[in-house]
Amino acid sequence: MESVQTKKMMKTLLALIPVESPLYSFHPVSRLLLFVITGFIPLFINMPELNFMFAVVVLLLFIYSKVALSSLKMYLPVILCAGIFTFLTFIFFPGKDPDYKVIGHVFGLALYDQPIMNAFIAYSKILALLLSSIFYFSTNRERDILAALRTLKMPFVASYVLGLSLRSAGMFLEDLHTVREAEQARGLDYAAMKFTDKVKLYSMYIIPLISLALRRSDEISNALFVKGYSLKSSGKRADYILTKYRFSASDVATCVVLILLLVLIVYFKYRYQWFGSDHSLFQYVIK
Amino acid sequence: MGKIIEINHLTWQYTDTEKPALVDVNLDIEDNMFIGVCGPNESGKTTLVSCIKGLIPHNFIGSYTGEVRLFGKNIRDLRAKELAEYVGFVFADPEAQFTSMSVEEELAFGMENIGLGSDEIRERIDWVAKITNLENLLDKSPYDLSGGQKQRVAIASVLAMQPKIVILDEPTSMLDPMGKDSVFNICARMKEELNMTIIMVEHTMDRLARLSDRLILVHNGKIERYAEPEHFFENVDELVEMGLNPPASIVFLDQLKRAGLYEGPMTTSVEETIEIAQSICARKESVQ
Repeated sequence: MESVQTKKMMKTLLALIPVESPLYSFHPVSRLLLFVITGFIPLFINMPELNFMFAVVVLLLFIYSKVALSSLKMYLPVILCAGIFTFLTFIFFPGKDPDYKVIGHVFGLALYDQPIMNAFIAYSKILALLLSSIFYFSTNRERDILAALRTLKMPFVASYVLGLSLRSAGMFLEDLHTVREAEQARGLDYAAMKFTDKVKLYSMYIIPLISLALRRSDEISNALFVKGYSLKSSGKRADYILTKYRFSASDVATCVVLILLLVLIVYFKYRYQWFGSDHSLFQYVIK
Repeated sequence: MGKIIEINHLTWQYTDTEKPALVDVNLDIEDNMFIGVCGPNESGKTTLVSCIKGLIPHNFIGSYTGEVRLFGKNIRDLRAKELAEYVGFVFADPEAQFTSMSVEEELAFGMENIGLGSDEIRERIDWVAKITNLENLLDKSPYDLSGGQKQRVAIASVLAMQPKIVILDEPTSMLDPMGKDSVFNICARMKEELNMTIIMVEHTMDRLARLSDRLILVHNGKIERYAEPEHFFENVDELVEMGLNPPASIVFLDQLKRAGLYEGPMTTSVEETIEIAQSICARKESVQ
């Protein structure tokens, strides 16, 4: 008989992942640093192959953290659209430079070497940042993010506002979904609508969604008052969530390695002009 | 028993409304009482409890005359933190009161605000989770729970702060029958085990009357009745005219009174009502 295995799952901001994911042996600060390093180091690197390597590292992190890679499917349109827009922009608006060399023609349009290279550089950075953002928000809950920020001494008010913003994005989408379902229940057929009508309809959603958002802000303001919170309140407050996390030796090692990596990359980039596009393999391929 | 809430000549009108929501209200509430508040829609029940909590005038705009005193202190002089230590408040919509994304944080949030240390917060979370049967839900998001569980989280987050007064504003109005049961069971437990004054606004008069030591009837912004259940239900017709549903036992006893079969006090207890009915039957049989 086939047995059904049930894993205890945890709902993060973007996904459901197993509670026993090895990533959770790390403190939220280490996880935040991992996000910063994998997402933002590529911004200093102009060699697309290195940035693509960062993207591959992030994919490996997905596997290590036991996040189903199939969950990435829903982000494929964003990843592809970002690529298409980046390349089209550099192809149609290459700019002018006497050093540009024509490497081919598409529909009568000249393709230049440097703009194409720039498109690869820009897209590789976007891809690395997109994947690491998806990874971070797929593996962390709001409380993990807040715990990381408060450990780094971010003021309570600022971290709380950030938490509310993250939550409000989800609620906004939920409200939109409810309004659309209500419309469908009353016979509105989206499939039969013209594109212009759909655009008009979307603009009409703004009023109910804003009034719902205003009502929610009013409710949360009352809830905060009822729970004794006020911006003017003075005195030190205990931060209970932080007691739930321990900063271990492996966290220290991870943070040191990640910070060292960041420092080295920045140092070599600005001291010795490493990671420039001149030495990129893509440069040779394009030429 | 001492007075812990005193309302003197309170009139409140929200801005942009034609008439006051509360008109010259006077009320004294003593400690360790379970007070039920009922009345038709738009009668001023929520406004009354919002005034006791201090949401009015602190968080609403309008005209306010008269005074509300909590433990002898004017509510206008109390800050959010002090008010939270005195009065806990549970809203009708469970989702409207969540301030955090996990049940555990939700329970801890209020305690952090009133300045408790982490160790005491942990102890109180364990205590309150046990009372409200939330032990297995601490790690979950409150938004992912059922209606009854959500309202239990809301009540637990208030109980954890151990206020002297707990106000529940129609806590079962958005719940299914099972959710309603779980909330009423917790209220019954609070009444029996915890040393606090509970004020509950509720439409389900049957269960409210059984729990309450005294009942308040609010109508057109005024307190029409404030009495023990046996006296509160003396004029059942008036309640029905207002659109309220008196408890089944009260309706039954009222019918017996009209038929000249019963002259004793009204009771909300099902057991006592059965005894009364049995004694009437026995009396009839002996006459025949």
